[in-house]
Amino acid sequence: MVISGRREVGMTKPAVSVRAVSKYFGATCALANVDFELFAGEVHALVGENGAGKSTLVRILSGVHQPDQGEVFLDGQRAAFGSPSDAIAAGIVTIPQELRLVPSLSIAENLTLGDPPVKRVLGMRVIDRRRMRAAARDQLAQLGLSLDPSIRVGRLRYAERQLVAIAKALRRHCKVLILDEPTAALEIREVERLFTLVDQMKREGAAILYVSHRLDEVVRLADRCTVLRDGQVATVARRGDFRIADLIVAMTGGFEMTPGDTVSEPGGTLLEDVSRHRDVIRLRANEVIGLAGLLSSGAGHMLRRLFGFAGEKIELRRNGRLKRIASPADAIRNGIGFVPDERRLGLIMNQSVHDNILLPSLDVIAHGGRIDRGAGKRLVEQMMELLDIRPRCPELPVAALSGGNQQKVIVAKWFARAVEVLLLDEPTQGIDVAAKAKIHTLIRNFAKRGGGVLVRSSDLAELTLICDEILAVHQARMTDRLQRSDGYDEQRLHAAMGG
Amino acid sequence: MKRHPKYTWPWLRQFKLAGQAPLITLIVLCLATALMTDRFISPLNLTNILVQSSIMAVIAIGMTFVIIGGGFDLSVGSTVALAGCIAAMVMVRLGLLAGTVAGIAAGVTVGLANGLIIARLGVNPFITTLGTMVLVRGVVYLITGGAPVGDEGLPPAFIAFGSARFLGIHYLVWVPAVLLVALSFLLQATPYGQRVYATGGNREAAYLSGVAVERIIASTYVWCGGLAGLAGVMLAARLQSGQPTAGEFYELTAIAAVILGGASLHGGEGTLYKSLIGVLIMVVLGNSLNLLNVDSYWQRVAVGAVIIAAAATDRLRSHR
Repeated sequence: MVISGRREVGMTKPAVSVRAVSKYFGATCALANVDFELFAGEVHALVGENGAGKSTLVRILSGVHQPDQGEVFLDGQRAAFGSPSDAIAAGIVTIPQELRLVPSLSIAENLTLGDPPVKRVLGMRVIDRRRMRAAARDQLAQLGLSLDPSIRVGRLRYAERQLVAIAKALRRHCKVLILDEPTAALEIREVERLFTLVDQMKREGAAILYVSHRLDEVVRLADRCTVLRDGQVATVARRGDFRIADLIVAMTGGFEMTPGDTVSEPGGTLLEDVSRHRDVIRLRANEVIGLAGLLSSGAGHMLRRLFGFAGEKIELRRNGRLKRIASPADAIRNGIGFVPDERRLGLIMNQSVHDNILLPSLDVIAHGGRIDRGAGKRLVEQMMELLDIRPRCPELPVAALSGGNQQKVIVAKWFARAVEVLLLDEPTQGIDVAAKAKIHTLIRNFAKRGGGVLVRSSDLAELTLICDEILAVHQARMTDRLQRSDGYDEQRLHAAMGG
Repeated sequence: MKRHPKYTWPWLRQFKLAGQAPLITLIVLCLATALMTDRFISPLNLTNILVQSSIMAVIAIGMTFVIIGGGFDLSVGSTVALAGCIAAMVMVRLGLLAGTVAGIAAGVTVGLANGLIIARLGVNPFITTLGTMVLVRGVVYLITGGAPVGDEGLPPAFIAFGSARFLGIHYLVWVPAVLLVALSFLLQATPYGQRVYATGGNREAAYLSGVAVERIIASTYVWCGGLAGLAGVMLAARLQSGQPTAGEFYELTAIAAVILGGASLHGGEGTLYKSLIGVLIMVVLGNSLNLLNVDSYWQRVAVGAVIIAAAATDRLRSHR
């Protein structure tokens, strides 16, 4: 008999499991009565929205947190991890939360840390540098990495450091490997390498827990998938039984995202970047254009450039007239607003919602050098209503708001200023589904009222949902242009992004 | 988390007990001293306290601008001496108005230099103003030869300004009172003022919201230098001469007073009237220690302890 959701592997006992685990942080319940099993030789994906309890479960398995109720089992035996080192001693390696690399040491030294190859010189044990480097090079080659093992880890890119950490885990022959958002910083090629590696480790009998936001990866890689919602297990499904759409429904509790509108008829040209000869960005009224590019693709730079925030002076054609943009102030004066990818760049955290919203509009609401308090207050109230910023308390410091509401405040700054063009960099990063849907609707409505939007996002589903056109960016070049009217071709988009 | 009051006279609106720690400290200090010695509440002594506070108050107002903007100015003490000496030198030859303008202009020049170096070149404010502090003091000694200026020949009206009263209150006290009203309006009710707070609160976010942050930061140092210049002119009137040694350690007292008044060294917070309460705390503390015949060496120890206590409260507040 096959129990639904359980993978028929040769072993009966899971490599690691938790039973009826609950965890509270103050009054918040992060995990409520969760059962979870991870078998040797399987890749088990863990998905859920932000705040669903993924990180808490991972931290319990890796010994960072201790459960308030319930038990953790290792090979069927009750286990209590008092600290991360207990979990590591038991053969559970978590990446990247425990990157455990020493930045000032070389790759080779890091890979062999704690157990370096030694030789005897005059009866003394001395580290055998040559063997150490050779061993390191072998391990890197296994991963398809051609890094020089004598490079200091501190000089590596984050993605490379992550791969080195995985190589280190591999060397220790870990029993359980927990990969927490491993592809967040990786290029497509590196992602492929990682997948090959995960496959290999699985065949060697490791139990792999794969935590990711990227559902396409989950569908491709996972043998089983557990979906968490509000600290509880929403569903456990086997390969073949889940599709991306099912996972989204399970994650969001059936929340229906607003589907993208039918193609709106674009109006006149709002903005044209005339200081470039190729890859010219042209934005029309009623239009939402997406920039699809990975972190290092240069798509973010394209946005910042249009806002005068990339350290170069540019020329734009705005509503037919040539304008020089040398600073954000110039861009704002020309009706352009910018939502940066980092919230600390968009908000003055210790100032009130009121002050933050009005900051770009001070010259608009001032008469004879004096701020019109009443007008400012009305504007703020109107914005908080329109964007549904909660709580409706304009005097609250923005630091006290949730991430989603903070993001809405940044958007409100530009709505209050009545800009015509909005540049958005990762506008829904790290915010919950409801806030995300709200922001998508706001973007669409802004365009419907005659605005133009240029949005960069690493979430392709988001772009296909809200954009009329998607520009693929790779190595600071525009590599493809996809129209909503043609229907978005995922393969083609991936290829254009440098896959 | 403290917030600055909005768009109206701050001491009328938002008068909440929680934010009034400086005022309460001042009242407790006054009551304690009044209980220990009856000389404290004599009209002569109270007048004396106000006159003593007036010059420091003008400096502290300028310092508040810089600190709200996220900066720091160590050069104000030297600027006081420079402005006093230049004012006296010019006044002897060209009269009252020219001398006053020259003194304030000297302060504005120092402030502008500080502001441009800090905002444009991005040099650390501590190092920059430490440099101008020493440099300006050197210039003062160079132009005066180390001797007091204008002992004789200062206009009688100037001498009168340093000691006479208007409506029963010293002219010297009127100056910070008028400045408090006018500049509080500037900080709370105008776009400029809000941009100073925004720049100090988060320079990058302010820049991305269209604030010309370099100009705003430079302007705060110009206010600070200019007001230190005005304070120098006031001090010269009171001393009836330009003293090259004047204003030593004024920068530390001013910074301590502003922090005592609840401004944050991280920037983005602070109000003028609370800074003035900070000044009064410092002056009343010195006055009461004097009246109680505390040894002057011990007085220094006490003032130092108060400065550290003020800095520590700033730190504790930012941790919350």
